Amino acid sequence: MACSPTRNPFSHTESPAVGVSIEHLSKKFGSMQVLKDISFSVDPGEIFVLMGPSGSGKSVLLKHIVGLEQPTAGRVLVDGRDASLEDTREHVHMALVFQAGALFNSLSVYDNLALYPREHQVADEAGIREKVMRALQILSLENAAQKSPSELSGGMKKRVAIARALVMEPQLMLYDEPTSELDPVMSATISEIIATLKDEYHVTTIVVSHDRELALGIADRVGILMGGELVSLGTPAELKTPKDPRVAEFLYPKIDLKNPRFKKLET
Amino acid sequence: MNNAQQTARVGLFFLLGLALTWVTFETLSDGKVFKDRGYILIAGFESLKELKQGDEVRMAGVKIGSVEQTRLAGSRRAEAVLRIDPKVEIRSDATASIVMAGLIGTNYIGIDLGTPTAAALKDGSEIRTKVTPDINAIMSELGNLGQKLEGALNSITGAVNGDGKTPGLFQKIDKVVSDNSEKLTVTMTNLQDVTAKLNKGEGTLGRLINDPKLHDELVATVTEIKTAATDARTFVTNAQAIIDQVKSGKGALGALVFDEKTGTDIKNTVANLRAVSDKISRGEGTFGKLLNDDTIYRDAQTLMKKANTAIDGLGDSGPITALGVVANSLF
Amino acid sequence: MNQITAILEGIGSTIQLLFRAASYTPSLWRQRARFIDQCYQIGYTTLPIVAILSFFIGSVLALQAGYSMSNFGAKQFIGSLVGLSMARELGPVMAAILLAGRVGSAIAAELASMKVYQEVDALVTMNIPPAKILVLPRLAAVLVMMPVLAIIADLVGWFGGAIISKYTQSIAIEPEAYFSVLRRFMVFKDVLNGLIKAEVFGFAIVLVCCNIGLNTRGGPREIGASVTKAVVVSLILILVLDYFVTKALM
Ligand SMILES: Nc1ncnc2c1ncn2[C@@H]1O[C@H](COP(=O)(O)OP(=O)(O)OP(=O)(O)O)[C@@H](O)[C@H]1O
Ligand SMILES: [Mg+2]
Repeated sequence: MACSPTRNPFSHTESPAVGVSIEHLSKKFGSMQVLKDISFSVDPGEIFVLMGPSGSGKSVLLKHIVGLEQPTAGRVLVDGRDASLEDTREHVHMALVFQAGALFNSLSVYDNLALYPREHQVADEAGIREKVMRALQILSLENAAQKSPSELSGGMKKRVAIARALVMEPQLMLYDEPTSELDPVMSATISEIIATLKDEYHVTTIVVSHDRELALGIADRVGILMGGELVSLGTPAELKTPKDPRVAEFLYPKIDLKNPRFKKLET
Repeated sequence: MNNAQQTARVGLFFLLGLALTWVTFETLSDGKVFKDRGYILIAGFESLKELKQGDEVRMAGVKIGSVEQTRLAGSRRAEAVLRIDPKVEIRSDATASIVMAGLIGTNYIGIDLGTPTAAALKDGSEIRTKVTPDINAIMSELGNLGQKLEGALNSITGAVNGDGKTPGLFQKIDKVVSDNSEKLTVTMTNLQDVTAKLNKGEGTLGRLINDPKLHDELVATVTEIKTAATDARTFVTNAQAIIDQVKSGKGALGALVFDEKTGTDIKNTVANLRAVSDKISRGEGTFGKLLNDDTIYRDAQTLMKKANTAIDGLGDSGPITALGVVANSLF
Repeated sequence: MNQITAILEGIGSTIQLLFRAASYTPSLWRQRARFIDQCYQIGYTTLPIVAILSFFIGSVLALQAGYSMSNFGAKQFIGSLVGLSMARELGPVMAAILLAGRVGSAIAAELASMKVYQEVDALVTMNIPPAKILVLPRLAAVLVMMPVLAIIADLVGWFGGAIISKYTQSIAIEPEAYFSVLRRFMVFKDVLNGLIKAEVFGFAIVLVCCNIGLNTRGGPREIGASVTKAVVVSLILILVLDYFVTKALM
């Protein structure tokens, strides 16, 4: 990230980038199996894009990585530490851009961004101001600084959520559909930010996205989740010619007006 | 609203709370926190009665401290720990007592002045105490007194009002007066007649007083005078009987005035008097003899004396105006 | 069986939350802005309703006492009756009930909606514990403000009683007599007793409402359910604690 040339000063780890490894992860909500024995790992400094149909369990997987959900079976290791332990968040600085934004509704946009650096005393008030304004600038939000989240459009909320994650200067950055509500130019900007963070600061990034352009453009590897199972894992080049017909159908769906899918369901 | 304003309001609010708590504390505990200076005296009592922590200590009515603590000392003694204003010296012969300031349980420790020459009591020393009767003792005393008073009053009422069977004194007097009011009036009228006639010089006695010529006539008729003297003696005897009856008491005065017989006697007497005066008017020189014969005079004087005594006796029996009036107009 | 487990779970998580919040006490000075804000919400804005209610509670106490005590000629003791009941019982309890209704429900609603809209999750990923910035300032604020509310409730109640005693014809007791009796039969310990009670109530209410709010799961409907639950549990708690605190302070 362009904001600051240094790592988080409160960081306990000397290694700037962290790896994530997911081992036989399963998750059940009641009787519903959402994740089924998922195993893969993300290398330090890698950009990993996770794709999959709606409801396939991508968001749930991200929550496991930040420790908001406890696995039913298996485990998630972040920098070698169990993600479900509170302790892990003390040592590894992670940021999650929530799918719905999860902005603090009682705080202004500015205070939303400033909360983390203030609480962790990253800098004095002037330094924080500089960081926050920089992040807002990158996402074209300067004019919204004093607004409350309820006064923002959907896309603006998403951008504020991204800006808030940027200000945190994390070692591990998780995005849950960062570009879903953005216009093409803004989507391109987000792609550029993600790539820059990786290049300049070696930030490990996991992106959940339906955006094929973004995935193929910046990803080091792409994983495809379907029905709670990891059905494909490979480089963007490999994905251009998918072997699995389900993956091919998912990535390059043909719009067949003569034989629509919803009619197939009926027969 | 900006932040500073909000902070100020919260601060003000909190200070208000502190102030109110402080005021409450001051009022309810007579402020001990900062006035905790002063020296301690111990006052031992058999019972502290209603004395409680925070009550005042007064010397000659002036507040000089407060009761800091009440506690039991041994099995037969209770102690009040007094905190006394350091400016006040208490003499070693001063005594403390528990004083009650109100009927509903305000107490204070009262300390008297002692003698100025005695040494002052030091911090922690014990002050002499004396027991004052508490409200309960006073109340039971009052109760006893009340009972006695009631007994006394009851016997008085019995005497005056009677005990239901025999009539009391006032009842008797009342009965006499009301039963005989008619007769009383008649008697009064008669008496008035008599005196009026005497005044006008009518009748014998009137003339006797007003006409000096009769002197000779009186002197002349000795026999008649004798008769008259006898008659006068009868009158005197009758009067004496009346007086005796008055003196013997028991509503005797009623009998005296209204008894039919006595009434007739009086009337007879008056008739006799008239007869005497008739005879005097008929006779000559009679009165000289009457005057020279001091037996009549002496008899009359005795009568007057007796009547006086009777009136005095009546006076003794109480300020019974109706009877007094009757007696006065009678004699 | 399930309900018993739920109750035990509630008690357990509440105690856990208390210890978590307490462990961040040293951060309180840095959170003073939040603390002041909560003081404002809990204390200052609750004052008017507390004052109004306790005025009438005091008045009604005086009226009822006047009615029943004049039967045996003890109506001059109204001052002590109103004074003691206000200070030892009704002042703290009324302040606590209003706190539950006004502040407890607001806390539960705010934290529940933060939970439902993932704001709490966001805090957790930011390594900012909710117990630290959401619970601790509220607990500290209620500890500071509750005695203030209670003493105001006491005094306003006393004055309410005094005014009613003076102007009600069947009572007609002068304020001097009223307060002199009140003073005679009360010590500061009675008031202190009430303040301690209020403190316990207020603390318990805020803690329980925070916990219920933070444990909300689901959507907007559950926010409403949490608020209801928070207020009901608070009211039950006030009465249960009242018994035990009264016994403990005797
Ligand atoms: N807290 C929860 N309780 C019960 N079920 C849940 C919970 N969270 C998610 N699920 C279920 O898990 C499944 C996966 O949900 P998830 O949010 O991970 O989907 P997703 O892959 O992110 O979909 P989308 O692309 O639409 O965001 C869904 O069927 C959802 O109903
Ligand atoms: Mg999702």
